[in-house]
Amino acid sequence: MNSTNPSDAKQTPVYEVCDVTYRYRQVTALDHLNLTVGAGRRVALLGANGSGKSTLLRILNGLSFPDKGKVNFCGEPLTEEKLQRDGFGLEFRRRVGLVFQNPDVQLFSATVFDEVAFGPLQLRWPHDKVRQSISGILEMMEITHLKNRSPHHLSMGEKKRVALASVLILDPEILLLDEPTAALDPKSESHMIDFLVRSKGGGKTIITTTHDLGIVEDIADDTFVFHGGRIVAGGPPSEILNNVALLKQTSLLHSHLHIHKSGEVHAHPHLHQHEE
Amino acid sequence: MHIPDGYLSPSTCAILYASAAPFWYAALRRTKKLLFTRLVPLISVFAAFSFVVMMFNIPIPGGTTAHPLGVAIASIVLGPWASILALSTALFIQAVFFGDGGITTLGANCFNMAIVGSLIAYLVYRAIAGRAAITSSRRVVAAALSGYLAINGAALCAAVELGLQPHFFTTAAGAPLYAPYPLSIAVPAIMIGHLTFAGLAELVVSGGVVAYLQRANPSLLRFTAPGVPLPQEETLPMERESGWRAARPLWTAVALLLVLTPLGLLAAGKAWGEWTARDFSTPAARQQIAKASHNVAPPAQPPSGFERLSAVWTAPFPNYSPSFIRKPAFGYLLSAMFGIGIIILLSILIAWLAAKAHRRPDGTHARPEET
Amino acid sequence: MANRKHRGRGFLERTTASFVDALERTFYAEETARADGLLQRVDPRVKLLGILALIVPAAAARSFKVIGGLFILAILLAALSQVSFGVLLKRVWIAVLLFTGVIALPAPFVTQGHVIGQLPWLGWTFTSQGLASAGYLVLRVETAATLCVLLVLTTPWIDVLKALRVLQVPVVMVTILGMTYRYVFLLLETAHDMFESRRSRMVGKLTGSERRRVAAASAGVLMSKTFDLSSDVYLAMQSRGFRGEVYLLDESRMRRFDWIILAGFTLVSAAAFWWGR
Repeated sequence: MNSTNPSDAKQTPVYEVCDVTYRYRQVTALDHLNLTVGAGRRVALLGANGSGKSTLLRILNGLSFPDKGKVNFCGEPLTEEKLQRDGFGLEFRRRVGLVFQNPDVQLFSATVFDEVAFGPLQLRWPHDKVRQSISGILEMMEITHLKNRSPHHLSMGEKKRVALASVLILDPEILLLDEPTAALDPKSESHMIDFLVRSKGGGKTIITTTHDLGIVEDIADDTFVFHGGRIVAGGPPSEILNNVALLKQTSLLHSHLHIHKSGEVHAHPHLHQHEE
Repeated sequence: MHIPDGYLSPSTCAILYASAAPFWYAALRRTKKLLFTRLVPLISVFAAFSFVVMMFNIPIPGGTTAHPLGVAIASIVLGPWASILALSTALFIQAVFFGDGGITTLGANCFNMAIVGSLIAYLVYRAIAGRAAITSSRRVVAAALSGYLAINGAALCAAVELGLQPHFFTTAAGAPLYAPYPLSIAVPAIMIGHLTFAGLAELVVSGGVVAYLQRANPSLLRFTAPGVPLPQEETLPMERESGWRAARPLWTAVALLLVLTPLGLLAAGKAWGEWTARDFSTPAARQQIAKASHNVAPPAQPPSGFERLSAVWTAPFPNYSPSFIRKPAFGYLLSAMFGIGIIILLSILIAWLAAKAHRRPDGTHARPEET
Repeated sequence: MANRKHRGRGFLERTTASFVDALERTFYAEETARADGLLQRVDPRVKLLGILALIVPAAAARSFKVIGGLFILAILLAALSQVSFGVLLKRVWIAVLLFTGVIALPAPFVTQGHVIGQLPWLGWTFTSQGLASAGYLVLRVETAATLCVLLVLTTPWIDVLKALRVLQVPVVMVTILGMTYRYVFLLLETAHDMFESRRSRMVGKLTGSERRRVAAASAGVLMSKTFDLSSDVYLAMQSRGFRGEVYLLDESRMRRFDWIILAGFTLVSAAAFWWGR
């Protein structure tokens, strides 16, 4: 199913995913998937666990490559060969940042400081610029006090903040976030959501995967629904969230939850939507 | 088997660092070529795994436990060179951060365990496993034996290094400056502990992990099985007998070999003049066993059978024996081998009897009590 | 057949106990490294080289006085660096006595030489050479272990690793060591959780062979997780621009204080070598 979103017709879409198929260990994670993401949009990819969202994010980040189909990044094909070239490869890594779902995988350095420094060092920034950027981002994310800690000793909320910091320090134009609020305590979760809300209109393209319906309205301008390795629906959040049948069909909603018809959406502390 | 600082003279330490260095260098180069950018994450996480495995307590026949080294599983899964790197990394962290092993002796410990251990494990595994199918029980036996021989090879190197110290490094008055026990005590004392406790732990872990991987993740065994096709999904059933049980006939053969070899060697041998069972009860030997077995206490006195056996082995054909058989050290080795063989045979027998006893009328097994 | 939970010191309990112990050590080490003591203020490279320069003569010297002197120096440095004696006693001195002390115990009776006495009941004779030998061994190990612990307790681990560069250890190895250290704790926790959940499911005792299978299977499961983890980490590294080379931030400069301490270490080390030759 072809899904496009309203975007500035003159601007090249950031991503054009054309008929992509990806198989992994006997499982078809992505099945002839099509998706277009416009520049500066905040996009939510909705889907139950295992629906292929994380795989797609990895492909968009050039970490995996589709078995069939192709992906265009800013109008040019995104291929393994191109990424291996130093010029394009490093530039791509700076422009596109991915925050993994499991922070233990992303925090592989011995201390928080080293972790945040990793990206800039890999991009061969001059060392004083590296140091400055690190203090800046640590302050912005309010984790300066964690500077010398080993990632193992951090709480989940702290880990996710460090993970985000280690990506944001490069000031990427495109942010890919994999289940950013999963397993977070309420306070950390609201911080994360605030961050995503505040970035509206900031020029960054943000693609978030989630199965948490409660936050979609706040964090996204465009929503796409995943099911069985394909995108089965797309549109503004209010439209998608009101499509009860669709949400049930794609396992995003279960019968014991309720949905408001009034169109009112507030930040509920838990995942319920009431039907009046 | 981690040798602390102070046990080896500075020259010994230097020689062993110098011996380890070319292997480290070669290992880094080969692994880089093999893994390219995967080198850092793979070696790091695997070294962490080795570190954790070294902390396992493996139950062995007799009710005690011992620590494995994990060198064979590293070599089998990663190949010898990556294994050298991963184990050296783990040993470094153990030495510096946990005080397990010395810093001046890090070269020696890496040489013994990471380098000699990995190479022996790899060569023995390849030699015995040959081109057998990835899921064949021959690979399990190969893995178990490679672990056993690797840890004993490492122990032998350590024993020789320690045993040579008093021969070369003493004060003017003749007091040993570093490790105080000569070869004739160091080698048997260390080897007995490893031919028994530590070796069995290694054997169990190596064979057991390979058996597990054959069922759960056979592609991990691919690297040291070149040219052998991976099993298709359909032929990887859980019901198929792989691992320990299917390997029992092979175990029995191994055990019989171990038992018969000393007897065979000695049938034509001369009486062990200097060696008697009483030597086994010297505190030196017992303490060395305790050290080598990672603080597992050895039996309080030599098995009484030992004393009778030593009489049995007084050979009736003095002219056929080579002179080294009469050395106490060799005698220890052979009795240990004999002991191992008996232990394995007994374990198999007990397991078989226990299984029989607990089989219910409908053919299923009741939960057995600890034997 | 009585089904009861076995609460004794089985192999699972002993293994998890050692995991917990390892984790505790790190907590303590990270705390002391932040304290405001003498050694904490010294540049990590100076500490690494300096302490190494003291460990080598401690392990090599032929004179009791030299080794003893180094031991006393180590204790002094510990005191000045807010390292508690209780910890040194528990984690280093007693542990060494229990291990090396026991090993050295037979030496007086086994070593040939000038007999100077005899044990009352057993009648075993001991020699002066044997006594000296045991003394050398125990003193060496105690001194070296104390010095090593000093380094580790007063320096954050990652700084110890980065200081290795001064010994020409390749950057890639320093990176591997750092990442290994970081993931040791994750895997320890994973293994610990695995064992705890097994324990809670165990009713009654297992046979020996069942326990061996549990141990081997646990190692196998841990290995599978290891590979999965390393693949994911690899992707995460690539995502941030990793292309095979690792880069470290350039180090802080040496201050005058550091040079003075370095000179001190060098002098003591040289003296120890000279007098202990």
